Amino acid sequence: MKKKLYNSPWSLEFNTAALVLIPAAVGINYLGKLFAGVLKLPLWMDSIGTCLAACLAGPVVGAICGAINNIIYGLTMSPISMVYAFSQAGIGIVVGLMAYYGRMNKIGGAVATGILAGLAAVSISTPLNIAFWGGTTGNLWGDAVYALSLAKDLPVWLASLLDEIVVDLPDKIVTVIIVMGMYRGMPKSLQSLYQSNGKIESLD
Amino acid sequence: MKSISLYEEKNSTLNHLDSGCKMLYMVAAILVPALIGNKWANVAVIILSVFLLAISKVLRKTVPVLSVSGIVILTIVIIQGMFRAGNTTVVLQLGPAAFYKEGLLYSLGIALNVFNILLAICVLIFTTKPSDMVENFIEKGFSPRLGYVFISIFQIIPQMMETMNTITDAQRSRGMETEGSLLVRIKAFLPLISPVVMSSLVDTKERAIALEVRGFNAKTKKTFLNERKVTTTDKIINLLLIAAVLASVAWRVKLWLG
Amino acid sequence: MARIEVNHLKYRYPHTENLALDGVSFQIEPGEFIGIIGKNGSGKSTLCQAFTGLIPNFYRGAYGGNVKIGEINVRDVEVDELCQKVGIVFQNPFNQITGSKLTVYDEIAFGLENLGLSRKEMIRRIDDALEQLDITRFRDRNPFDLSGGQMQRMAIASIIAMNPEIIILDEPTSQLDPQGSEEVFKAVQRLSQKGITIIMVEHKMEKIAAYSDRVMLLDEGKMIDFDTPQKIFSRDDLLEHGVLPPAFTRIGRGLDRKNAATGEYPVTLKEAKEALEGMAV
Repeated sequence: MKKKLYNSPWSLEFNTAALVLIPAAVGINYLGKLFAGVLKLPLWMDSIGTCLAACLAGPVVGAICGAINNIIYGLTMSPISMVYAFSQAGIGIVVGLMAYYGRMNKIGGAVATGILAGLAAVSISTPLNIAFWGGTTGNLWGDAVYALSLAKDLPVWLASLLDEIVVDLPDKIVTVIIVMGMYRGMPKSLQSLYQSNGKIESLD
Repeated sequence: MKSISLYEEKNSTLNHLDSGCKMLYMVAAILVPALIGNKWANVAVIILSVFLLAISKVLRKTVPVLSVSGIVILTIVIIQGMFRAGNTTVVLQLGPAAFYKEGLLYSLGIALNVFNILLAICVLIFTTKPSDMVENFIEKGFSPRLGYVFISIFQIIPQMMETMNTITDAQRSRGMETEGSLLVRIKAFLPLISPVVMSSLVDTKERAIALEVRGFNAKTKKTFLNERKVTTTDKIINLLLIAAVLASVAWRVKLWLG
Repeated sequence: MARIEVNHLKYRYPHTENLALDGVSFQIEPGEFIGIIGKNGSGKSTLCQAFTGLIPNFYRGAYGGNVKIGEINVRDVEVDELCQKVGIVFQNPFNQITGSKLTVYDEIAFGLENLGLSRKEMIRRIDDALEQLDITRFRDRNPFDLSGGQMQRMAIASIIAMNPEIIILDEPTSQLDPQGSEEVFKAVQRLSQKGITIIMVEHKMEKIAAYSDRVMLLDEGKMIDFDTPQKIFSRDDLLEHGVLPPAFTRIGRGLDRKNAATGEYPVTLKEAKEALEGMAV
């Protein structure tokens, strides 16, 4: 058996606990979205699980959570959301890496992580928005920005980029800050559960 | 138990068709019009998908799915119809709002494309059990561990929804406000979601153990209790679909060369 | 059949200070029914999981000594190799459901599919397990729609179908109502009669006394005693170890009625009756 003290952030081997974390994370995403709907928050809040899984089990698991999350949305609610699997996977990778390098322990690091995750989502989603919807996002505020930009004769890609920034960036920053709070408050034993290569010390 | 899966057992022809067949249909239905690059090809495939959904008695179920995207498409029609660069020909004037032919045609293209993709996916997911799809993938070499993840989500999410209802009721009865100003509502969010998050993380430990003691990580090749039957009809349909994709690739290549 | 041998077993969970198991040694013969008792945190669950290899292979942490199942040293094999020899059932039936199967029948098949059994063999074993646990009539139900007792019996059936020689039950009835508990105990007793080694952690001392060939008393990770139920429950220091003896033993002790031949207090209804007969009214 291989024995390493820490997982490499890119390790493709993950233990059963990390694997079972994926459906739980997708469920948490789902609930976040639902609660945000119930409370009529102007944010999506649909990536809490993905970010949490990325912190606990690394960027690869984070990316898988993100991708599977949207595939499941696609199969259960709106099929078109499947294409945004790539954006969600991007969020998982960014948050996982930042957590691996210890940035998810302080509020400053969390804000930076949120901005980076938001930018990752924006840069992946914008081309998809343009390809599928001609550049809009379906969000009222974002699309108002889009319409305004087009009216001011800005090019489509820029209008779409602004639209997406308005929609995604604040959401990701708030999400990551919430996740940081939960992650810091978690017992150590829970955190170590998802790291597959913990060493077994000898007591003999 | 309430299921989140869109699949419904209707004992229809498509229910009995092999899942591989329907997956291939979805791919072909999306690829062929994209390759041919003609609106009428889109229309033709849409009609075919609607026909398939109708004989499977699930056409009504497409309404909610389509209406979610329908709202987005409506905003596209409005925004592109009014503001698209290159809009010159006014076709409709509603007070101060002018709709242009170019923008409307452009958004019609998007709408046809989106509806085609949606309906093709619907044909697959309304008539196929999710576990059949995943098992089919596993037989073809997809990781059984990831396969488990997909299947279990369909059971775990309804479980979590039940937990969520319990929590919402409990918090409400403690007088938590779920209405009011934005600040009040943001404050309400955390106590609602935190308990579910914690309990579902703790559950992952027990579930992981339960899987391990049932040979989840065994290296032997997995077998399946439920037999998958690929009939001659399935094979013929597969061949026809592949032929359709190849033909449209050939058409595309011919267009490029000519 | 496999004999269990535990030598100087020590274990500490990751990120903790104290040893959960501290130098435990004993042997268990094939076919025995063993009860494990002790207060919360005495190491009962840890010991249970050490038989299956979950400790240390799942939890990691620090480990010393060894556990041998027949010729196999638990430390050296993966959990999935051992699960065909040692099965384990936990207290929460809900979290033992895999969540990937829509019927009881398919749920029981989960482990067998992983082991790569033929379809014919799977059907034979599942039918047999359903029969043994008396849940054949629920075979087409959704696993989540069962009652607690039915769910727990399904969990046991899922383990039985894998044909283990040893079954560990870690407080299998603590989350069940009295009727559900009774169903589970009956099922466990039937398995024991078939010659399977049973190791059960349980707080209902009357049940431990009635079923066990031997009882192990644990406290703070150490094995205090491992003997017949009569000997264990006749100990004077049981309360100090956080264990309340069965009601029959307490009655015997209160009335100072011992079994004349052995000098031990009664532990079951039958024994209590015998000890009390002859008492002047």
